[in-house]
Amino acid sequence: MKGSLFAFLGGAFITFQGVANSRISQDIGTWKTATITQSIGFLMAFLILLLIRNRNWRQFKQVKPLYLTGGTFGAIVVFSNIVAIHHIGVTLTIAALLIAQLSLTFIIDSKGWFGGVEQKMELPQFIGIGMMVIGVLIMKF
Amino acid sequence: MVLGLLMAITAGSLVSLQNIFNSKVNVYVGSWTTTTLVLGLGALASFMIGFIFEGKSMFNLSNMEIWYWFSGLIGIGVVTCLVQAIKRLGSTYAISIAMTSQLGFALLLDSFGWLGLEKVPFTPKQLIGVLVIVGGIIVFKLGKRKEHHSSKAS
Repeated sequence: MKGSLFAFLGGAFITFQGVANSRISQDIGTWKTATITQSIGFLMAFLILLLIRNRNWRQFKQVKPLYLTGGTFGAIVVFSNIVAIHHIGVTLTIAALLIAQLSLTFIIDSKGWFGGVEQKMELPQFIGIGMMVIGVLIMKF
Repeated sequence: MVLGLLMAITAGSLVSLQNIFNSKVNVYVGSWTTTTLVLGLGALASFMIGFIFEGKSMFNLSNMEIWYWFSGLIGIGVVTCLVQAIKRLGSTYAISIAMTSQLGFALLLDSFGWLGLEKVPFTPKQLIGVLVIVGGIIVFKLGKRKEHHSSKAS
């Protein structure tokens, strides 16, 4: 039950973050919004990091350098999310975003890219993505 | 319309890649070190791109309202909640619920036009669309998948 509540709140926060960012960008511009929200998030995460015990910086060396660069995508993610919300509204933005996210994860998994265990494409995943696309079409047409 | 969709698809694809990369970092250094790194790099990249396109105006903070400074904390709420949810439910159920909640709140925010958003009038069509999408997420996430053991191991 507690787990479900956390998941529910987590999802709500993701949507609120996107909407807050697109509101803020109207006053200060998109790139400044992306810079400020992520800087404050960074500072807070760093503070939490200093307060918790289990820090293992040294283990960074074990991670392939490529995987350490994922954070830079955040700039484009925040930017695109803001522009999309301004153009097509929140619901359609999130719907299209989730379809792209699940589809790409699905393709990557089924090819076993980035060192993952290859997972076969199965019917439910095709049907699931199909339903999501149909849902968008219902909303829009 | 097309531009908006393309932007959303770009964001979704990058989120997918980022999740994969971050989870590899997470295994070694834990979720808060990963979050610190990811947000730090995101801020840095945003600032550099902004500086290239907008130059010195990136330093002009005259239009800031107080609450703008705090919106970045929502991201901390996202990480905290998702880490806890995944720990308790496993990622399949946690992510299914989170995605459903994301869409539900999106519909709510569009319908009420909160935070100065342009109101997107609520219609039954939209609710049905969202329900079908949620159905799709559930089928996708809960549908059985087999691991393919023949080739390269992780």
